[in-house]
Amino acid sequence: MAQTQSQQAAVLQGQKTRQRSGRRVKGLWLYVLAVPLLVVMAFPYLFLILQSFASWDQVNRTFLPTSFTLRSYQWIFNGGGYLAQPWLQALLNSILVTAVDSICMVALGAIVGYALSVMEFRGKKLINNFILFQMFYPGIILLVPTFLIIRYSGFYNTYWAMIIPKMMSLWAVFMYTGFFRSVSPEVIEAARLDGASELQIVFRIMMPMARSITTIIFLFVSMERWTDLMWDLIVVKDASRQTLNVLLSTMFGPYGTYQGPLYAAGVILTLPVLLLFIAFSRNFVKGVQLVLR
Amino acid sequence: MSVQAAEQWKKRRSWAKEIQGWLFTSPYLIFTIIFFLIPLVWSIFLVFQNWNLISPHPTFIGLKNFQEALASPRVWQAFFVSYKFLILFIPLVMAASIGLALIVHSIPRFKSLFAVGFFLPYLASGVVSTLVVQGILSYDGPFNATLRSLFGVSIDWLNNGWTATLVIVLLMVWKFSGYYALIFLSGLQGIPDEIYEAASIDGANAWVRFWRITLPMLYPAFYTVLILAVGLMFSIFTEPFLLTKGGPNMATQTWQLEIYYQAFNQFRSGYGATVALINAVVTLVSIVIIRRIVEAWGRRYGW
Repeated sequence: MAQTQSQQAAVLQGQKTRQRSGRRVKGLWLYVLAVPLLVVMAFPYLFLILQSFASWDQVNRTFLPTSFTLRSYQWIFNGGGYLAQPWLQALLNSILVTAVDSICMVALGAIVGYALSVMEFRGKKLINNFILFQMFYPGIILLVPTFLIIRYSGFYNTYWAMIIPKMMSLWAVFMYTGFFRSVSPEVIEAARLDGASELQIVFRIMMPMARSITTIIFLFVSMERWTDLMWDLIVVKDASRQTLNVLLSTMFGPYGTYQGPLYAAGVILTLPVLLLFIAFSRNFVKGVQLVLR
Repeated sequence: MSVQAAEQWKKRRSWAKEIQGWLFTSPYLIFTIIFFLIPLVWSIFLVFQNWNLISPHPTFIGLKNFQEALASPRVWQAFFVSYKFLILFIPLVMAASIGLALIVHSIPRFKSLFAVGFFLPYLASGVVSTLVVQGILSYDGPFNATLRSLFGVSIDWLNNGWTATLVIVLLMVWKFSGYYALIFLSGLQGIPDEIYEAASIDGANAWVRFWRITLPMLYPAFYTVLILAVGLMFSIFTEPFLLTKGGPNMATQTWQLEIYYQAFNQFRSGYGATVALINAVVTLVSIVIIRRIVEAWGRRYGW
């Protein structure tokens, strides 16, 4: 009796190990597939980095440069030779525009989202519906008249032209509205009884609860702002006020033989976004799925 | 406190609530008036006007902008090219993103690492990815150098209509498949294991399980991705703008390129706004038709 039981146990054990090893083999071929795919997806980034360090006679000539130099980066940071462009200024411009806009998009998104979910006032439902309408309205129709507004308000060719029209993200408002709706009203009532003002409730109570969604919203809006091309291209014409993205795009043609610095600028343009995402990547997948749903 | 006073207090309080609500939404209201409602109304006037930004006064020209746009080979080319992109892009990006999602879903360890890794292309600025592609594919670039040494051929990738189209499509697939894979991934995670187990017991192999269970169960994610991808194909700008300038021979001419060219290069505001309006209408109609088709497909599986 005891023997059969132990036999049974042994058989079960055997099945289990077989199953487990089977799974391991299955997992193995998945990695054999996934790792090269990861390399393929990362390939343009690797190419970018390699070319930015390649000595200038090898740039755009080979996949694997053999001699390396810091000349491309020196060019950028010193403002190099006679074709000097305000690269560092452009980087600062990008940081300024992206930082101000991202912070505004998150803060305004939270404030308006709070009003549209927690607060009670006439017209709230109408505004909520109108936001949905706006999100589906094709923005391309608004491009030319919005440009004309900027032109005639005197903001053309200033930082404001880049900052103000992109200060607000309807998507951020929409996301915060949905999230704050799920917060239990007791929490908010308790805070009100403690004498907290509505603004305090938004930033001291709601925002800490919304940390994961705020991370995702911030990452997405800042990434989108950082890599915007068309708007920044049409509202600013002085090279000294252009963002790095725009400056790099205008350097595509005339630079000709000076390809190395372009790759260095590309690395500088890509690195901040990449680092930001990798820093937050631990909760990224979960957070993104929360947002995408 | 009398009843009347209490009532008054209540009234004032509700008024305070109203004011507070409108105060908190005021950033949105101001923003919407300046950057949505005014442009919206203005765009309706613009399409009937001939206005280059240099002349101070716009002139009313009726439907002439529409007549010109509908007769313009540049606009028709943008129309056809957007469908050319669509037909190539949708199957490729669907296959790639579902594949990536399946890998991330079934891989036993480092799920997030792979998910984030596949997502990274989405972060690239269009300018940077275009720079890299131009560098790799230029006539004397590394890709042609490799081809030359291996097969003795050189292809002028960006000066041939079909290869240039393919390059831009593949660039978009590279950029968006990891992002769309995340949408498919949450769809995959919503499929209960029991269904697969039941199907296995009934003798369905992995191939059958994928086509009969996984794909139909992914319908909501599929729908979302499809709408996103269709919208995307009607609004490509950066890649052709930098890589091909719409060429060669307008093979990569897109709506956004035409709008940019007319409104901000030729300074024809009225005509640019008209092309934008036509673009929006074409996009909306296309999305509605595609939605109908896909919804009919979804109903077969009970969605």
